[in-house]
Amino acid sequence: MNVDKHDLLCEALPDAFGGIYLSQEKRPEGMNYFNFVVAEIHGVRPTELLEHQARGGKVFGTFCVYVPDEVVFAAGGIATGLCGGSQFWVPAGESVLPVNTCPLIKASVGARLDRTCPFFRIADMYVGETTCDGKKKAWEILAGEVPFHVMDVPQMKRPQDIGRWADEIKGFIKVVDEFTGNRVTPEALHQSIVMLNNKRRALKRLYETRKADPVPISGKDALLATEIAFYDDPSRFTEMTNNLCEELEQRVKRGEGVFPAGAPRIMITGTPMAIPNWKLHHLVESAGAPVVVEESCTGTRYFEHLVEEEPRDLDGQIIALAERYMKTNCACFTPNSNRIQDILRLAQEYRVDGIIDYNLQFCGLYSTESYLVKQALDAQGIPYLHIETDYSEQDFEQLRTRVEAFLERLRK
Amino acid sequence: MEEVDWYVLFPNHHEGLRLYRKLQVHGISCTIAPTPRAVSCCCGISLVVPAEAVDEVKAVAETVQVKVEGIVPVAKRKQWKYRSS
Repeated sequence: MNVDKHDLLCEALPDAFGGIYLSQEKRPEGMNYFNFVVAEIHGVRPTELLEHQARGGKVFGTFCVYVPDEVVFAAGGIATGLCGGSQFWVPAGESVLPVNTCPLIKASVGARLDRTCPFFRIADMYVGETTCDGKKKAWEILAGEVPFHVMDVPQMKRPQDIGRWADEIKGFIKVVDEFTGNRVTPEALHQSIVMLNNKRRALKRLYETRKADPVPISGKDALLATEIAFYDDPSRFTEMTNNLCEELEQRVKRGEGVFPAGAPRIMITGTPMAIPNWKLHHLVESAGAPVVVEESCTGTRYFEHLVEEEPRDLDGQIIALAERYMKTNCACFTPNSNRIQDILRLAQEYRVDGIIDYNLQFCGLYSTESYLVKQALDAQGIPYLHIETDYSEQDFEQLRTRVEAFLERLRK
Repeated sequence: MEEVDWYVLFPNHHEGLRLYRKLQVHGISCTIAPTPRAVSCCCGISLVVPAEAVDEVKAVAETVQVKVEGIVPVAKRKQWKYRSS
């Protein structure tokens, strides 16, 4: 670790978190757990990972919701998210990647090369996937640093593609078996499938409360919980999220919210927001509109659909995993019309007044798909705003103007 | 007069969590927060407590023997300019 440089990151976090999160009013008590995780983000969890390694366990770093964490946990490993969400890591990423690469990839590579993120230093193996060209090439650079396994995500969703993905999972099990020295058994895989399904159920329950008006939790807080889901111990996360949900459900019963009833309800769709990327949510909610749902990999795509728990043999479990993961509607697929259907369904379920289509700069897949998203929303008469941005603060005031103008339209 | 938040500082997060739980039992509302570097770099977490509860928090900490490094005022942030790094 580059301790001196890492210290600069630690210095900025309390100020940023204080300004963006702690300044909110009527925050649920249950968010204190998530505050704790942020305050100790490079302390408690990394220590747990190191203790796991000291006991002979392996840590797998992942970058995408397509990687089946169930396999890692079934082999006695720990899977942890590695996506970079801060501008802090971008310059180091740009030292090896073209500038016109998406900030998520630049930050992820930069976090490793800069030696300023303990998760990137601790992970024994990285697991990447082929969801975009930028990532595929970045993996080749990171593979020079740390053992790397790439899962080949199909680009279509025909029956043969689901079969191919099942083969990829089978191959991943072999890699994990060999790397950990532990065999993935049907019993262990069943346990990890149930454990991660429970995490998905807890997130689903959290999102259900956001359908209420007034909304009992801010979009910023819900986003934070989802971001932390990628790093935290899954069972503990599930327990703490369920505790939070009990509080939120009581708020809903009492008609209590963090925004006034009738405030314009916003959906954000598009590219993921890795921690600590809170830029757009902060912008929208500071302007008085709650974000009530995210159709993204740090939103509904992460927890919708459970893995079938019935199969008790390895082959059946692999098929169940393949079928569940292939239901995730990422823009890397063609066609990806199910994502459009998801957006329209969620707009209705969460009673949204307007949708912000959020793309990280240089993400060609999501930017291109924006055309079809807009077309579908126009046809339904749902107000739409397209925003392309990065992690920097340079465009913050311009974006504020655009978002405020959009909200004014919704309030009329 | 400048508005302030009162931060309870700890030598480690175990002590912080212990006091957090005790304050909950005593019905004193508090918020777990990252520790501002300007006041301490010992431990990641602090508790932000209401100004009117500072004496009571001190008393609870003494009674339950939680190690506290201090309870300090930190200027409340009124304007936040977004910064991601």
